[in-house]
Amino acid sequence: MSGAIAKRILIILPAVVLAILVQSYFWVPNYDHQTRGNPQRLTQYISASIGDVAIINPILNADSASSEICEKIFDGLIDRDENLKLRGRLATDWKIYEEVYFVVNDDPVWISKGLSTPEAVKEAIERAASSPQPENSFLRNIDHLDILPPCTEERVVSEQEANEQGGEGKEIKIKVSIRYPARIKATLREVNQDFFTQLEPLLGSGYFNQKRLSPYLAIDPPVYDTPERRTAYLSQYLPVVEHNPVIIFNLRRGVRFSDGHEFDADDVRFTYESIMDPANRSPRIPDFEPVKTLEVLDKYRVKITYKRLFQPAITAWGIGILPEHLLNKESLAREARGKNLDPAEFTMRQSDFNKLRPIGTGPFTFVEWRSDQYIKLVRNENYWEGAPHYREFIWRVIPDMLTQELEFYAGATDHYEARVHQVNRLKKDSRFQNFSGLSFSYTYIGYNLRRELFQDKRVRKALTMAINIPDIIQYVLYGEGEATTGPFLKQTEFYNHEVKPLPYDPDGALQLLREAGWERDEQGFLRKGGKYFEFSIITNNGNPYREAILIIAQNAWKKLGMKVSADRVEWSVFLEKHINVGNFDAVVLGWSMGIEPDLYQIWHSSQSGNYQLNFVGYNNPQADDLILKIRQEYDEKKQIEYCHKLHEIIYDDQPYTFLYVGRWTALLDKKIAILERDDQGREIIKRITPTKTGNYSFYFNKWIKFPQDPVFSTGFE
Amino acid sequence: MFSFWAKSLVEKLITLFFISIISFSVVMLAPGDPSEIDPLNPKFTQEDIQRLRKAFDLDKPLPVQYYLFYKKLFTNELRSYKDNQPVLKKITERFLNSLPLFLVGTLLTWCLAFPLGIQAALRRQSLFDRSTTFFSYFFISLPSFFLAYVLIIFIVKVFNVPVIGLQTFGRESVSWWYLINDRIWHLVLPSVLSAIGGIAILSRYVRSQMLEVIEQDYVRTALAKGLPPDTVYYKHALRNALLPFVTMFGLTLPGLIGGSVIIESIFSWPGMGRLGYDAILARDYPLILSLNFIAACLVLVGTFISDLLYMVVDPRISLISESKG
Amino acid sequence: MEKNGSSVNLSAPQPEQELLLPQVSGLRDLWRQLRTNSLALWGLGLLSIFFFIAAAGLILTEGRQPIMDPEKVRLVDTLKPPLTKANESVLAPEDRPLFGIYLLGTDKLGRDVLARMLQGAHVSLLVGFISVGISVVLGIVLGALAGYSGYYVDSIIMRVVDIMLCFPSFFLILTVVALLPPSIWNIMIVIGLTSWPPIARFVRAEFLALKKQDFVVAAEALGLSKLKIMFVHMVPNAIAPVLVTATIEVASAILTESSLSFLGFGVPPPAASWGNILSDGKEFIFDAPWLFIASGTAILLTVLAFNLFGEGLREALNPRLRER
Repeated sequence: MSGAIAKRILIILPAVVLAILVQSYFWVPNYDHQTRGNPQRLTQYISASIGDVAIINPILNADSASSEICEKIFDGLIDRDENLKLRGRLATDWKIYEEVYFVVNDDPVWISKGLSTPEAVKEAIERAASSPQPENSFLRNIDHLDILPPCTEERVVSEQEANEQGGEGKEIKIKVSIRYPARIKATLREVNQDFFTQLEPLLGSGYFNQKRLSPYLAIDPPVYDTPERRTAYLSQYLPVVEHNPVIIFNLRRGVRFSDGHEFDADDVRFTYESIMDPANRSPRIPDFEPVKTLEVLDKYRVKITYKRLFQPAITAWGIGILPEHLLNKESLAREARGKNLDPAEFTMRQSDFNKLRPIGTGPFTFVEWRSDQYIKLVRNENYWEGAPHYREFIWRVIPDMLTQELEFYAGATDHYEARVHQVNRLKKDSRFQNFSGLSFSYTYIGYNLRRELFQDKRVRKALTMAINIPDIIQYVLYGEGEATTGPFLKQTEFYNHEVKPLPYDPDGALQLLREAGWERDEQGFLRKGGKYFEFSIITNNGNPYREAILIIAQNAWKKLGMKVSADRVEWSVFLEKHINVGNFDAVVLGWSMGIEPDLYQIWHSSQSGNYQLNFVGYNNPQADDLILKIRQEYDEKKQIEYCHKLHEIIYDDQPYTFLYVGRWTALLDKKIAILERDDQGREIIKRITPTKTGNYSFYFNKWIKFPQDPVFSTGFE
Repeated sequence: MFSFWAKSLVEKLITLFFISIISFSVVMLAPGDPSEIDPLNPKFTQEDIQRLRKAFDLDKPLPVQYYLFYKKLFTNELRSYKDNQPVLKKITERFLNSLPLFLVGTLLTWCLAFPLGIQAALRRQSLFDRSTTFFSYFFISLPSFFLAYVLIIFIVKVFNVPVIGLQTFGRESVSWWYLINDRIWHLVLPSVLSAIGGIAILSRYVRSQMLEVIEQDYVRTALAKGLPPDTVYYKHALRNALLPFVTMFGLTLPGLIGGSVIIESIFSWPGMGRLGYDAILARDYPLILSLNFIAACLVLVGTFISDLLYMVVDPRISLISESKG
Repeated sequence: MEKNGSSVNLSAPQPEQELLLPQVSGLRDLWRQLRTNSLALWGLGLLSIFFFIAAAGLILTEGRQPIMDPEKVRLVDTLKPPLTKANESVLAPEDRPLFGIYLLGTDKLGRDVLARMLQGAHVSLLVGFISVGISVVLGIVLGALAGYSGYYVDSIIMRVVDIMLCFPSFFLILTVVALLPPSIWNIMIVIGLTSWPPIARFVRAEFLALKKQDFVVAAEALGLSKLKIMFVHMVPNAIAPVLVTATIEVASAILTESSLSFLGFGVPPPAASWGNILSDGKEFIFDAPWLFIASGTAILLTVLAFNLFGEGLREALNPRLRER
């Protein structure tokens, strides 16, 4: 090798290597030319998420990522429309009515009044119903009355026996024998939670007497026949009155699962039974616990009877419907045998259905799932509502926010959730379209009401008034949030906009504290009877907003003269050692909520034990009453009225300092628009507009991506 | 010759044994029980933990754990805590992803370091020499993650091109030409980044080697004889200056794991370094142990190769005297 | 080439003997040599500035009422660019930064980046010096033992060195640091424990040569204890290459710490280190680039200073390099 060649190689080789590397730039797609070499890109919708999906099964998943994917693959019976009203999906429509039961009272008093036989009572009610008196108008709601003759029933109940240490003891079996006396069943056209209170004056005060039913119940062995147990069993197994709301769903005909099998009522029944099967450990059990029975009336009709009044129960039917033919006992047993596993121990949780071949009736069907990388779905060409425009839905796992951002700028994903500090910059970016709305959650400071310090309402109000909430929103959230005054979603009608927030007023706060007996000493510390106003506030670490609020609140209260210590605690410790056992003074936390106005778990006084959600220990009988009424009210107007009242009461009590509802901002590639056809079949290109609640992807199935920024049809710019 | 070879191999195997002990104990003796994988998961009952402890032999004494661990590793029975995949399969998969990055990085390093170093040596004290010296120190001192982000912002802001990952997402149906170029493009930034430090260091070595050689008498004689400088420098001098670098080739192997953690994390490159980082985050002990062990093995293989090359290049060098110092 | 901040070592693959040549030639001689080396002078200059900043930072940011509080959270002034004036209408006087201006801007919690950088300076310095201190002590003791004793002590120690050199040090450090509870001391100890082998090698090589020199033979003849001969008489004569390596190792220790911080395993918050300022800043790369530019530049300059100075030292101590 001559020297000159060596010299040339030393120059040419690096030049060639660099040239090969650099030229590749010209073949790579970029944001403006996403189709470069790949026209398919327009038919893909690529979304990114921080975490991976856990399990693709609507009844088993418990995380938001999984449910997002399940929504695409599975359909529920119902969902919510643009205005958050319920809308039929796999059910075309439904009917809600009520069946009520009561025991005919055969005590001597009622014999004399002629109301001790079912026939007599029935006749009395029918007579009253036909009378024009206004107080009996509620009886016109009765469709018909039936008489249930006496019967008997035996149940075996297993219980954990409590031992002396308070721990769980051995399991005991108790036989409960029930002799039902004659009962009357009334079928009401509309649900009426006050039916019995309205009926009682007609029959006579004291007619519905639970206690007198005690002899109808026998507990064996008699050792366990304690008064508490007896009372509990009576109300559970032999209630003197009973409300049983009923829903009848009419199912959509001709809908097929993506494997071609037709959807029918048996799939609905199967989905319900799978949820309730303890072997599946479904996290959705609480939603369906109120269901008493589910009957398949015919191939396209199911009747669901509930144990008690619980208005939000219907929303549970938004759950994706599973295909019975793929997951029933025989199929699972076959799968187990194929894997050499014991069919008796093989449950739906172990099935490949959840990972490799989920099948539903939804707009998209499953293609593949690469864990920690992506999930790919392809459109369901036979979707009953018409196939989506996008051919593929791809859901990428990108744990790093910055990477998500970079991929979005490069056109490798179509969607990006801007973080609050970016909103201002990105909203101005003309390459993207942006949407924003209020989140379904709120952030608050909760006070442990069991602590003596926080028992005075005035003190709690003062604590709130010391905190500058508008400032928190402006500086911590960069303005991306709204103040809130109550426990309901601000987007819904349940929220009471009449409730006026307490002002930011440190002087007023001091005034209130003075009224409550707290005076400032020479050093400026608040004292009452020699004691300092001293407490700690905690939050979980890892959430920058909560940590910021922690510090702001601490500073604000210190300025009033309180001695406040602040601490951030690791999440599991935070729950186990503080929240679940009520060991805290004040806490910064947030709730995310569903749309239903059910506040039972968070605010009802019965829910304030350890490991329950009313961990602040809020207890107001008036509120308790309203909370129960709200969940039992099927008339939306009345429900809203109760909610507004409850909102007022809770805000007046200030068990929380309600801080804010966050605002999210999502960015989309500007090349995406809505494509529809008018009556003549002409294409109409519409700009994507969010629904009333800010949901911009409501019409996702009509979305389409253009190679360049689209030209909108006239009237739809 | 063969005896050196065998001796070196035996020595390496003994070292390997100690490496296996150290890499095992480093992880196992660290505080925190590996069975506490997911304390937040309420469905993770005490029995599950026991089953897991059993599955991973955590209830046995450490020496037995050690034995079982390596037995399982070599029989491909060892599974990751995180997703229950065989560890070796995962590592092989990721290794193949890391390989192109490593190869292109090495290619860039060696291709660029030599011309730069040689030129700097030949034009000693010139502006070129001074600036390469300065930039060498500059790039040696530059934290790679810092440079990575500067480059990323620049490229993404100006060109709006994807730079993250192995390839642009969602391009399975693209023609081979686009596909290859897309892959190459995604290699550019990470490989340049991982090469830049290497170029800086290696070009300094080349420069000092070259300086040493061109001051030798035979070079001066050749030049005095009137041979063209290109022939003298690039033929005679270069060959002699190159000799020591042959042995360095083997030593680049370990860069496959250790050097790639940061770059692969930044670029979401599904390679070995990223695998190691994720394993550490998830406390995936089988994986961490295996990776540390395999990394050390790579070093051993590297030194073994460089020993062999040394012998091939210069048979006078005996391995025994070398290792005895 | 492995370049991840852990093994930057500029010594060419020359036989070790070459490094034996220099003898300690007195501080004045060293200074004379350094003065003629522009790289070293630059390095020294940067280093002095850096030491000054670290010392100033220690004074300004430590104590109960520091002049510049690196941990003061000001939510009204989050992510402000450099040279922004503090929001004086909202901030209480005691919350305002020095001179009412954020010279290097603020981070996501409105903390003054300059104050945090100042605090980080001595953290970086501490990490560099303590970890290298550990490795120097270990390296000298083990290297001296190996070089002086010879035989099986030598083989054992050298075998350990071989084993240690086999682990990709950054990944090993990352593993250990991640498994230990987060603490700055753990990081220093782990870096120290993994970086002593090169020093031990140099010291051993020096000792092999020194052992045969007259003064050692004389000391042995006088019946001085072996420990005394080793650590009183021989170590000072073998310190030169150690000094060079140690300087460069400080640079790589600082880089390692910043890499660890970058990956989330560094100095635990709220204490600031340049690495975790940079790591926090990466999220805001498009919105607040000053966060990572400031910290990245600081790391770069400091590491550069140590590297240049170390290289200058090497040249000054090595007569053969000196000629060029």
